[in-house]
Amino acid sequence: MALKITERGIHEAENPIEVSFREAFELLKPQLNPPFTLKVLTKEEYSNLNKALIFGIFSQPNLAEVHIKHLHAIVIDGYDLFTCMLVKIVDELYVKLVDSVKIQLIWVTKEMLNVLAIGFDKLMVALLRQIVGGDFSEGNLWLCLEMVALFLANWDCLLEEEPLMLNKGLYVFLRLLADHYGVPSNPMIDGLKRMEVVFCVRLLREQFLLCLKIGRDLIRLLQDLVHIPEFKAIWRDLLLNPRHFGVDGFKDISQIYHTKTPSSYFLLRVTPEMETKLRFLLTHVKLGNQKRYQVWFAKKFLGVPGSEVILTDIVRFICCSVHPSSEIMQPDILPRWAVIGWLLTSCRKSYVQANLKLALFYDWLFYDETTDNVMNIEPAILLMVNSIPNYIEVTRTLLEFLLIVVDNYDIERKEIVSRGVSTALSTLVKRGVVSSLDVLTRCDMIAPVHREMFGKLVLVMQGIHSQKIGSASIIHDISPPPSHLLSSSLGSQHPNRVNCN
Amino acid sequence: MQFLKDIVPAALNNINTKFIVLDKGRIDLEGQHKTCLALVADETAAVHFQMWGDECDVFEPGDIIRLENGIFSYIRNNRNNHVLRAGKRGKAEKVGEFTMAYVEKPNMSEIHWVPDPKNPKIYLPVDFTSYISSTH
Repeated sequence: MALKITERGIHEAENPIEVSFREAFELLKPQLNPPFTLKVLTKEEYSNLNKALIFGIFSQPNLAEVHIKHLHAIVIDGYDLFTCMLVKIVDELYVKLVDSVKIQLIWVTKEMLNVLAIGFDKLMVALLRQIVGGDFSEGNLWLCLEMVALFLANWDCLLEEEPLMLNKGLYVFLRLLADHYGVPSNPMIDGLKRMEVVFCVRLLREQFLLCLKIGRDLIRLLQDLVHIPEFKAIWRDLLLNPRHFGVDGFKDISQIYHTKTPSSYFLLRVTPEMETKLRFLLTHVKLGNQKRYQVWFAKKFLGVPGSEVILTDIVRFICCSVHPSSEIMQPDILPRWAVIGWLLTSCRKSYVQANLKLALFYDWLFYDETTDNVMNIEPAILLMVNSIPNYIEVTRTLLEFLLIVVDNYDIERKEIVSRGVSTALSTLVKRGVVSSLDVLTRCDMIAPVHREMFGKLVLVMQGIHSQKIGSASIIHDISPPPSHLLSSSLGSQHPNRVNCN
Repeated sequence: MQFLKDIVPAALNNINTKFIVLDKGRIDLEGQHKTCLALVADETAAVHFQMWGDECDVFEPGDIIRLENGIFSYIRNNRNNHVLRAGKRGKAEKVGEFTMAYVEKPNMSEIHWVPDPKNPKIYLPVDFTSYISSTH
């Protein structure tokens, strides 16, 4: 029987990538045993030999040491092609790989790290992306465990060679910790949680300057972990004792708020398969024709209990990493706000819904025209405005959430958030995303009290504090919000709203 | 590779195409074999595809299927309803998921096909034949 690296169902075509790797292996098989011929290879021969060695390492674990020695002997490009090929296999085939191949994949990744191969970081990113949020299956937890162990075992090397890789690990494991603390304990998950905590806390405590590069989403992730003692202590220092992190110039948490998170981080929590499908939805599917695709997407990725937590990751990904070019932003293609509206309405748990809304508005809270991107804040306003005719409940719930967040996200730094949201609103109007905010301030299907509070933000935005403005009729009497609003769920709470001590 | 809009009924296993499964009907038994009628489509047209045996359990809505040497003909006891299927000589395989655009109209199975009066081996859509007779 032919050697295989993937599981294939009946009536399933063989994957062309696997075919090309197997063909290279079969072709070069006689040359894969020592003594190796070290003749100069053409580009094509070199490529085929790389493929053959990968296939050999994957399908002949007992000969993997021989194949890797062979690779070390013939390599002429710093392993660039080899790691590129591995990334392609991980991105396109990981889910289907047979278990023994997955074990070999981790082994060869360690080898690539040991020799500091060109592209080892991309390979690690590819593997991190295969860890599925909200998935507690044994295979997924195994990958998680292997990856956190890899980070811990190669700490010094990563710090020296590719420090941003540690940041990527931090982003992933902070996010996964929230999942792993949400399920009943068992020996596997407990061991995993301990390793994740050790890794994350060590990086935050020892390399805080590096961690700051993640930007504001670091805070969003830490919010979900405030109940874990080690993170409670980190929060206490963030809020009360920022100098404790030993970073010159770091004086206040607001410095993190003001750093936009690079878009590459959001990709880390969306698998390549999800990414492909979401991008297809947003570039090829016509508005009005999305129903079946949504059902298929939900069946595939949201069907298992607990998987809803990925909705937050998806929303951050859509807002911050999917910025369609102007050719695609045609009126008939499904827009980003419509996809987010669908995700919002498919949320069943209220805390997930609150986290999703926070993810949607997160860049609004600290918006700075000079550094932030209007594309990140565009979906939220369009969802609110476009939902008015038929889905007013969506508009209401989003507006109410925004108002609560402005007043309560960080009560010590309320003016920062309020300024951020006002700047966001002003940018959205100035850049023509919406022609005016009247459609919200004058919408009589929205509670007067919310219109008033929103009007106040609009006032700040216009930089007018006491003079008359066009919509003065609704804002002349600004009263404090009713207290019941303040008790509404904010999702995972910023520790400035909870007792940190 | 043919587009679905270009398929015409014939008693030949001559259709090579690719489509996405939109919907599956009930699984029935035809003798010992399972059959299941599905609505499938590509970016040009839709058609009814008859799954056979294991195909009924394996293919799901959202799957992209490549059909090699398939046949488009009427099914037993129903000369008005043409379906696409792999048949004994053809092969249907899943090659992907999700990432294929489709239209639901026209549905090639809903077109009424009649033999060409000049060559009974060739089928023509009814609209087309009336078009021909009116112009000749």
